[in-house]
Amino acid sequence: MLDRILGTRRTRQFQRIIRNGKITLFCLVLTIVVLRGNLGAGKFGTPEQDFKEIRETFYQYRGKRSEPRRVLEELQTTTEQTASSTTNNYAEFDINKLFVDEEDDVKKNPNEPYSIGPKISDWDEQRGEWLKQNPTFPNFLNANKPRVLLVTGSSPKPCENPVGDHYLLKSIKNKIDYCRVHGIEIFYNMALLDAEMAGFWAKLPLIRKLLLSHPEVEFLWWMDSDAMFTDMAFEVPWERYKDKNLVLHGWNEMVYDQKNWIGLNTGSFLLRNCQWSLDLIDAWAPMGPKGKVRDEAGKILTRELKDRPVFEADDQSAMVWLLASQKEKWASKVYLENHYYLHGYWGILVDRYEEMIASYHPGLGDHRWPLVTHFVGCKPCGKFGDYPVERCLKQMDRAFNFGDNQILQMYGFTHKSLASRRVKRTRNDTNNPLEVKDELGLLHPAYKAMKVPDCPDGCLEPGTSPEKWRRGFRCTTRRVQKKKIREHGAHESTQLRS
Amino acid sequence: MGQDGFTAQKRGSSTLPTSTAPNGGSRSSRSLLRGGGGNRQIHKTLNNIKITILCGLVTILVLRGTIGFGSLSSDNDLENQAIIEETNRILAEIRSDKDPDDPEENLDQTTINLNDTYSLGAKISNWDEERSLWLSRNQDFPNIVNGKARILLVTGSPPSPCDNAIGDHYLLKSIKNKIDYCRIHGIEIVYNMAHLDKELAGYWAKLPLIRRLMLSHPEVEWIWWMDSDALFTDMVFEIPLSKYKDHNMVIHGYPDLLFNQKSWIALNTGSFLFRNCQWSLDLLDEWAPMGPKGPVREEAGKILTANLKGRPAFEADDQSALIYLLITKTEWMKKVFVENSYFLHGYWAGLVDRYEEMMEKYHPGLGDERWPFVTHFVGCKPCGSYGDYPVQRCLSSMERAFNFADNQVLKLYGFRHRGLLSPKIKRIRNETVTPLENVDQFDIRHSAQGTSN
Repeated sequence: MLDRILGTRRTRQFQRIIRNGKITLFCLVLTIVVLRGNLGAGKFGTPEQDFKEIRETFYQYRGKRSEPRRVLEELQTTTEQTASSTTNNYAEFDINKLFVDEEDDVKKNPNEPYSIGPKISDWDEQRGEWLKQNPTFPNFLNANKPRVLLVTGSSPKPCENPVGDHYLLKSIKNKIDYCRVHGIEIFYNMALLDAEMAGFWAKLPLIRKLLLSHPEVEFLWWMDSDAMFTDMAFEVPWERYKDKNLVLHGWNEMVYDQKNWIGLNTGSFLLRNCQWSLDLIDAWAPMGPKGKVRDEAGKILTRELKDRPVFEADDQSAMVWLLASQKEKWASKVYLENHYYLHGYWGILVDRYEEMIASYHPGLGDHRWPLVTHFVGCKPCGKFGDYPVERCLKQMDRAFNFGDNQILQMYGFTHKSLASRRVKRTRNDTNNPLEVKDELGLLHPAYKAMKVPDCPDGCLEPGTSPEKWRRGFRCTTRRVQKKKIREHGAHESTQLRS
Repeated sequence: MGQDGFTAQKRGSSTLPTSTAPNGGSRSSRSLLRGGGGNRQIHKTLNNIKITILCGLVTILVLRGTIGFGSLSSDNDLENQAIIEETNRILAEIRSDKDPDDPEENLDQTTINLNDTYSLGAKISNWDEERSLWLSRNQDFPNIVNGKARILLVTGSPPSPCDNAIGDHYLLKSIKNKIDYCRIHGIEIVYNMAHLDKELAGYWAKLPLIRRLMLSHPEVEWIWWMDSDALFTDMVFEIPLSKYKDHNMVIHGYPDLLFNQKSWIALNTGSFLFRNCQWSLDLLDEWAPMGPKGPVREEAGKILTANLKGRPAFEADDQSALIYLLITKTEWMKKVFVENSYFLHGYWAGLVDRYEEMMEKYHPGLGDERWPFVTHFVGCKPCGSYGDYPVQRCLSSMERAFNFADNQVLKLYGFRHRGLLSPKIKRIRNETVTPLENVDQFDIRHSAQGTSN
C-alpha cells in the first residue's frame, strides 16, 4: 500500500527508518531502565516504590489527604476509610508515623556560649540544710550504705534494629533485679533534656539535673543501657570511697601517664552529690555541644590522647583529657577502680562463664565473677555495630541468663543452660519455705536491713503515730538491741558526708 | 516464484545477462528482488531475533529492578545487604523460640489427665504463724516501713522477643512507667520473664509466680500483680491500704455485674492486690485447677463460657475462673474487696481521649474517672501480631497515656512533653541557683509524705 504512495524505494527506506526507530526506542528504554535500576535501588528506592509514590501523589491530587497524618491531627478514633489505619496487624504499621511534635525546636542563639546551667557555688551548704530539715529522707540508709540512684536510659523512639528494644528490656530487667536486691533506686531516662548535648553527652545535663533535684541521693550511679549486672551478690565497697567523689573503672597509669583514651570507662561510674561534682560537670561539658564545637574538640582529643581514632568528641575521651591535663585539681577526689569490674569489657569475659560457674561463686565482682559485663561496641539498638551481630546478641543472652540464674536461684529455679530461655527447678517445693536458705543470701541481705530504731524514746518517725509504729516494729529492750548490734556490727548514726 | 525467475532466465537468451541495459538492469534488480525473497526472509528473521533479544533484555532488567539486585550492586550495598540478611536470620532464630534444649522437651509432652487435680505446690497450712514468727525474728525486715505496708509490684512478659518490634518498645515504656511510679512511692518491682510452671503458661503464669514470691518474701505485706499492658497515669495517687485492713484481696470490678449478671468482665485480674497470708495461698490453690494447659483448660473453658454472661468460647482464662470461683463459692467474698471508687484498673477506651480535658480541669491524686490511676490497654496486645483493636488507635493511645504520666514525673525536673504524642520535651521552668525550692514544691514524695494512710 505504501508502495503506491511513496514508491518502492521510498517505502523500503521508510520501513527501514521505522525499524531503526523501533530499535532505537528499545535501546533508549533499556538504558533508562538500567540507569534507574542501578542508581535507583541504592538511593531513591526501587521502581516499585516509585510506583507507589506516584500513586500516592496521584491520590493526593484527587483530594484525599494521606490517612495517618489526618488521624493524628484530629486525635480521633479510627473509623477511617482506608485499610492502612484500621489494620489490626502490628507488622503493617510504621511506628514513626505516630509521633507528632506540637511545638518547634527552640532556636538557640548561635553566638551564645554553651552553658549547662547557672553556676551554683554553695551546693554543699544548700544540701546540708535541706537534709537537716528532712530527716525522713536520709542520705544514708544505714551506717555504711549511702542512698544510691542508678541512672540509665535509651531513646524514646523505637530502635532501628527490630530486636534492639527486646535487649533494652532485658537489660533494664537485669538492673531492676540487682537494684532490688541491693536497695538502689532506678531512674530510666527517655527524654533528651538538651538538644545540643545529644548522643553520648546526653548523660551530663541529666546527671546534673538529677543531682540537684534529689538532694537525698548520696551517690549517682550512671550505667549504660548495654551494660548488664553479672554478679548479683557483689555489694560495692562504699567505705572505700568515703573520701572520693568520682569512681570510675580504669587504671591510673593509662590515664595520667599514657593519656590513653580507653584508660577509663564512662559507661558505669559513681558520682557523689556535692559541689565538687557540679564543678566537674561544668568543666566536662564544654566539649559536648554538637556541631563545630564537638568536631573541633574531637580533633584536639585525637591529637592529645593515645590511640584515639578520628571522630567527634565523646564524653569518655573528654574525661581522660580533663583528668590528665588538670590532675592537680581533680585527681585527689577521683578513684580509678580496677580491683573489680565496675565496667567489664565483654570480649574477655563472655566465653568464660561456664568456667566461672565451675570454679568460682558470686560475690567476687572481679575477673573471676565480674560485677558488670559491658557490651561496648555492640550497639543492639542501632543497625550496625562494631562486632558481628550474631556474636553480640548471643553473648548478651548468655550474660543475661548468667545474671538471671543468681536471681532465680533465690526462688529455686535456674535456666536450663546459659543459652536457654527455659527454666528448671533446682530444689523441690517444700511446705516449710522459710527453712530453706538461699545460698547467696540475696533474699534478705545485711546491706538491705533497715535500721532498728532505739526503743522506747526518740525513735518515732515524724508523721507516724505510736500505734502505727508499734504495729510494725516490736519494741525490743535495750539488752536485745545491744546484742543485735554486737551480732551485726552495725551502729546507728546518721552522718552527713560532704 | 523463485523457480519462475530461474526458468525465465533459462528461457531467456543464452548470453548471460551482463548488459547494463535498463531492461537487463531492471531484470537483474527484479531477479535480485526475487532472489532476495529468501534474503528478505532471512533479514526479517534476523530483525525479529534482534527485537526479541532486546525485549528479553528489557524484561530481565525490569524484573531485576523490581525484585532486586544481586551481584550488580556496589560493594557498600552488598555489605549492608549481607548484614541485614544476617540480622534477619538471627532475629528469626531468636523469635522462633527454638531452644537448644528443645529436642529433649518434645519427647515428654505429657499433659495432665482430666482426673488428676493440679497442685501449685506443697500444701502449707500454717503460713500466718510461720510468717509472724519470721517477722519477729527479723525485725530489720519489717512488713511496715514509714507507716506504710510493704508492697511488691509484680509484672512480666514472655522471655522471647515480641512478634514485632513495636511490642518490645511498648513493654519497655511500660516498665519505665512502673519504675517511675514505684520509685516515687517506695514500692519494689519484680519483673518476671521466666515460665515457672510449664503447665500454667500464658495468663495463668502469674499464679505460681505470686505464690512463690509470697513464700520467699515474708516481709512483703501486699503483692500487687499488674499486667504489662497497664500503665500508671496518676503518679500522685496512693492506694488507700487502710481501707483494706479486713480484706485480703483488692480487685477492681462491679458487684452487680458479678453477682446479678454473672458477667465474665465483672472483675479484672490485670491489676489486683493479694495480702501475704494463708487465706491467699488457699485461694490460689482453689483458683489454679482450671489452669493446666491441654484438655483441662479446654474443658474448663467450656464450663466458664456456659456459666458466665458474654464470654466467648475459648480456653479457660484466669479472670473468668476467678469470677466463677467467687460466684459459686461465695464464702471467699468475705475477704475480697471489689473496688471501683478509683481505677485500680481503668479500661483505656473511655479514658485516653480525655487526657487534655483532664489536664485542664483536674489535677493528679484523684485516681478516678477525673484522673485515672491506671489505664489498662486490654485487647491491644502489642506484643502479638494482631490485637482486637486497630493498631493506630492502640499505639497512639498508649503513647498518649505514657506521655501523660511522664509529664507528671518530668514536672519535678522542669520539663514536659511537647504534646501527648511527642517524644520530645520542652522546658517549663528555668534553671535556678536554688533548685531546692522547686524540689520542696514539686517532688511528689514530699506531698505524699503529708497524707496519712
